[in-house]
Amino acid sequence: MSAPVETRWGRLANFWADFRQNPVAVAALIVIVAVVLMAIFAPLVAPQDPYNQKALDLFDARLPPGEVGSGGYVHWLGTDAAGRDLFSAILYGLRTSLIIGMMAGAFALVLGATVGLIAAYHGGRIEALIMRVIDLQLSLPAILLALVLVALLGQGLPQLVAALVAAQYAYFARTTHGAASAERRKDYIEAALSTPLPARKVLFRHLLPNALPPLIVVATVQVANSIALEATLSFLGLGLPLTQPSLGSLISNGFQFLLSGRYWISIYPGIALMLTVVAINLVGDQVRHVLNPRRSR
Amino acid sequence: MIGFLIQRVLQAVMVMIAMSVIVFLGVYAIGNPIDVMIDPASSQALREALIQRYGLDRSLIEQYFVFMNNMLHGDLGESFIYRLPVISLIWSRFPATLELALTAMMIATCLGIPLGLWAGYKPDSWSAKAIMAFSVLGFSVPTFWIGLLLIMTFAVELGWLPSGGRGPVSNILGLNLSIGSLEGWSYIILPAFNLALFKLGLLIRLTRAGTTEVMSSDYVRFARAQGLSEGKVVGLHVLKNISIPIVTVFGLELGSTLAFAVVTETVFNWPGMGKLIIDSITVLDRPVMVAYLILVVFLFVIINLVVDLVYGQLDPRIRVKAAS
Amino acid sequence: MKLNFKLGGALAAALLLGTALGGAVSAQTLTMGVRAGPDSIDPHWSTLGSQAETLRHVFDTLVMADENLQMKPGLATSWKPVDDTTWEFKIRQGVKFHDGSELTAEDVKFSIDRIPVVTGPMSMTIYTKQVKETKVVDKYTLHVITKAPAPTLPNDFIRLFVVSKSIGMEARNEQFNSGKAAIGTGPYKFVSWEPKGDFVVERFDGYWGGKQPWAKVIRKEIPNDPARMAALKSGQVDIVNYVPATDYAAMQKDKSVDTFVADTVYYFNLSPNVKETLPKPVKVDGKEITANPLRDPRVREALDVAIDRKTLVRVVLEGLGRPANQLMPLNFFGSSKNLPERAFDVAKAKKLLADAGYPNGFEIDFHCTNNRLPGDGAMCEALSQMWARAGLKVNANALNGTVFFPAQQKGEFSLWMSGWGTLTGEASYTYGSLVHTADPSVGLGAFNKQGYSNPEVDKLLQEGSRTMDDPKRRGLFEKAVEISMNDRALIPTVQLQTVWAAKKGAITFAPRVDQETLAYEMKPKS
Repeated sequence: MSAPVETRWGRLANFWADFRQNPVAVAALIVIVAVVLMAIFAPLVAPQDPYNQKALDLFDARLPPGEVGSGGYVHWLGTDAAGRDLFSAILYGLRTSLIIGMMAGAFALVLGATVGLIAAYHGGRIEALIMRVIDLQLSLPAILLALVLVALLGQGLPQLVAALVAAQYAYFARTTHGAASAERRKDYIEAALSTPLPARKVLFRHLLPNALPPLIVVATVQVANSIALEATLSFLGLGLPLTQPSLGSLISNGFQFLLSGRYWISIYPGIALMLTVVAINLVGDQVRHVLNPRRSR
Repeated sequence: MIGFLIQRVLQAVMVMIAMSVIVFLGVYAIGNPIDVMIDPASSQALREALIQRYGLDRSLIEQYFVFMNNMLHGDLGESFIYRLPVISLIWSRFPATLELALTAMMIATCLGIPLGLWAGYKPDSWSAKAIMAFSVLGFSVPTFWIGLLLIMTFAVELGWLPSGGRGPVSNILGLNLSIGSLEGWSYIILPAFNLALFKLGLLIRLTRAGTTEVMSSDYVRFARAQGLSEGKVVGLHVLKNISIPIVTVFGLELGSTLAFAVVTETVFNWPGMGKLIIDSITVLDRPVMVAYLILVVFLFVIINLVVDLVYGQLDPRIRVKAAS
Repeated sequence: MKLNFKLGGALAAALLLGTALGGAVSAQTLTMGVRAGPDSIDPHWSTLGSQAETLRHVFDTLVMADENLQMKPGLATSWKPVDDTTWEFKIRQGVKFHDGSELTAEDVKFSIDRIPVVTGPMSMTIYTKQVKETKVVDKYTLHVITKAPAPTLPNDFIRLFVVSKSIGMEARNEQFNSGKAAIGTGPYKFVSWEPKGDFVVERFDGYWGGKQPWAKVIRKEIPNDPARMAALKSGQVDIVNYVPATDYAAMQKDKSVDTFVADTVYYFNLSPNVKETLPKPVKVDGKEITANPLRDPRVREALDVAIDRKTLVRVVLEGLGRPANQLMPLNFFGSSKNLPERAFDVAKAKKLLADAGYPNGFEIDFHCTNNRLPGDGAMCEALSQMWARAGLKVNANALNGTVFFPAQQKGEFSLWMSGWGTLTGEASYTYGSLVHTADPSVGLGAFNKQGYSNPEVDKLLQEGSRTMDDPKRRGLFEKAVEISMNDRALIPTVQLQTVWAAKKGAITFAPRVDQETLAYEMKPKS
């Protein structure tokens, strides 16, 4: 469809031309950009700083959407049990959730890619052993692993990220290994390996770049998964403290009010979570579709 | 073939041993269950007596070998909290999880394959796009959140179905199942649907991918050229060609559904194995945690092994590759 | 589509049938939706509150407690001290076990002797630790000889479940859970139970306390609050315990349910760590300081007067609580009537902090549980808000109990809030554990993790625990309570109230302060 332009920018332009074929994915991309911008500029957009205990007033607790609180502004999405403006809390919560998602995604990517590359580079028994363990880990539900780890490591941001990384690096390892080992069998790598060239050069110059496109796809999906996993852990009572609200802790905090008519405390953070996660997945899906070399045109 | 078989079985055994070490060390190396379980007002003497009885005073390696030795004799230990054999605790929860997982898989299949077929058959239609968007929803929205919405809608607002728990059980084929009665079904339908959503999304995508591939292949074109009706083309050729990979994945996914039920069981208060493991984690009942994880690993090793062997049977190239 | 319709119709019919049947049976069957259940059917396995609460239906205790936790005769009709270290218990005559055999002093002796043999993680030995030996005087008289004078022994025996001697010392959880060893003298006979599942009992016609109105009682364990409330609304259960405050507000408008409110023995208390150094130093103007400001009584007072207890009750607990000025209800043995209501005065809090050398306040970590008692997580946040107004920066952390308790045990907290219930109804249990210097050699101060130590309080508590004369003992405890509360060894905040909800017009009962949900104290309304 598009002309074969081989410059970097040209490839990007091609990619974009293919990407925008799907209007749903474009809409999702817009949502993501909006969400990220809102999270970054939360202090400017939000009417209240939900971390600042002094800014909160218990007398504003559990106001329904649309009421005016003691701050003199309208709480469009209502307030929670501590008198926190939910719109502000959601913006800051998005921030926490995105940071957790991206940190977990990044660490898992580095760890997973390293393990995968090592397996592909060595081959033989080491490869077989590593990949068997990775396969098995993949078959264990991530939520279960994360749950056990958080229960054992304790609650807190570093522990949470560690648990998420441990639960997810295997996806990256398998993806990297798949792409890299296909490349590894090609003649030029065999040739490069037989020269005194340092092994890490071969690894980083040739094997890694080939694994990148699928890794990007996996990374997108894993960021979304991390956010969803964090929310699930929070729901099970093993997430972050409420004074550092992530979307998950906001939802689980509001869960107790769900059936007694104060739906907004849980529903709105839930909608924000759903929008974010689904948008990231839709974009990831389209990226996978565009990058897929076998895709029919 | 025999060589291949032995090789694979040996590999599976090695993996089991490796995983048992990882699981055991992972769970035992960190955290002290005594602090969580014991009444803090207890005397030091009682504390020590307990530590000794649970074998926590021995070295980790020693504890591991005791554990492995018992395991080889079919004994996975005793729950700290209930002082009951772990195996019987887990087994008593198994039927609940099994029926939930099977019902969920059934829902996923009955909806997923037709939807996927349609989406693959008419990929450019509006309905196909909607189906695909739905499939993304299915595997990206957190299970607990959908579960909450389901309870809100069907149990609280509409009052059609119970909000949680399991219906009355009856003995079917030696297992205590609740799906023998209509009342039982009213309890299982919401959690099963909740659990099914993730698989449903996956199955739609798999079926669709398979269908598009087959539809553009030569023999479908050939069949059409022969004047076969569309219904027969889809029914005979497409379904037949996509069934093998789907069945394989189905087999693999059943295992993970059994394990994934953790969240659904918590949301719906379903008394299955997942609920048991969550409860055990909150009280650090180590023997139950370890046994559950090892059983899950065992399940997957077995499934992987069977899949490998079946593939090996079907496709000799895999055997050659594996042997090289 | 037609098939779907049929299925839907069948489902609806089945549901209707189910409720119709349920309605017909419910005059005889009581189904309770409870938050927690037992870990075993062995009544000696665990001190857990939900364990005792459940097994009271099957087993009786030597001494019983009324709804205000004051002692009343149980399997013992009377008790009195014979000398300083001997208590005489008269055993009730004509009591039958579920297997038809008669209760004698031998069974009681066996039960006391059995407790140390059952070494569970939550061992009942804390209730028998004062016992040296037991002597059967005659068929209906038992002497319990204690290691030292033990005036609170009858209080401890509120938790002394009596089992039949015939089960033998070797009986374990399996025999109890299967029902073989579950032979008690209680109002109901054990039918079935599985961990975290339903606990089912049926009426025991030979019960010494008279015939029960319910032929069958089912306790369904539904730990999740909204799920439990939904079970009541959908008619799956007749009564639920631990109704959350938020649902209580909604239920008062609901014509289909009755609600029952009671004060509880549970209090939220703040523990200021007063050890030499804090596990994590506080920060003043962003810089860590080595000194522990909580050692200064003025700082503790500032924390105290910055708390607006009335607002806590009204907003956080939605009315389900009372401001507290000590750790137990006023009518409990040893509570002080001389303590004033705690004041709320932000200006004073600021001044106290300035006087103590912290005009700009300081930054400190504050820990709570988030899943143990109703409103614990929300209390945590509300308190840090109130302290923020007094100029402190408080980092509130509401943790899962799994994480909270081990860390608390290890002394990792600077300032924390925890719930405490005086389940024995008298002061030595609470103040002996919480404010006496932590000293394993005298077996006191086991929960004093905040490091409070006042020799005068220690002396009063120790003397009290040896004094057999009731009025004298009461005086000693009241003194200890007053001193420790004025020292702010712990800072009481609020006393919780609890709510049950039942189907309209179905049940009457007198709510208990220990929050136990007991079928034999409930009667059908009609």
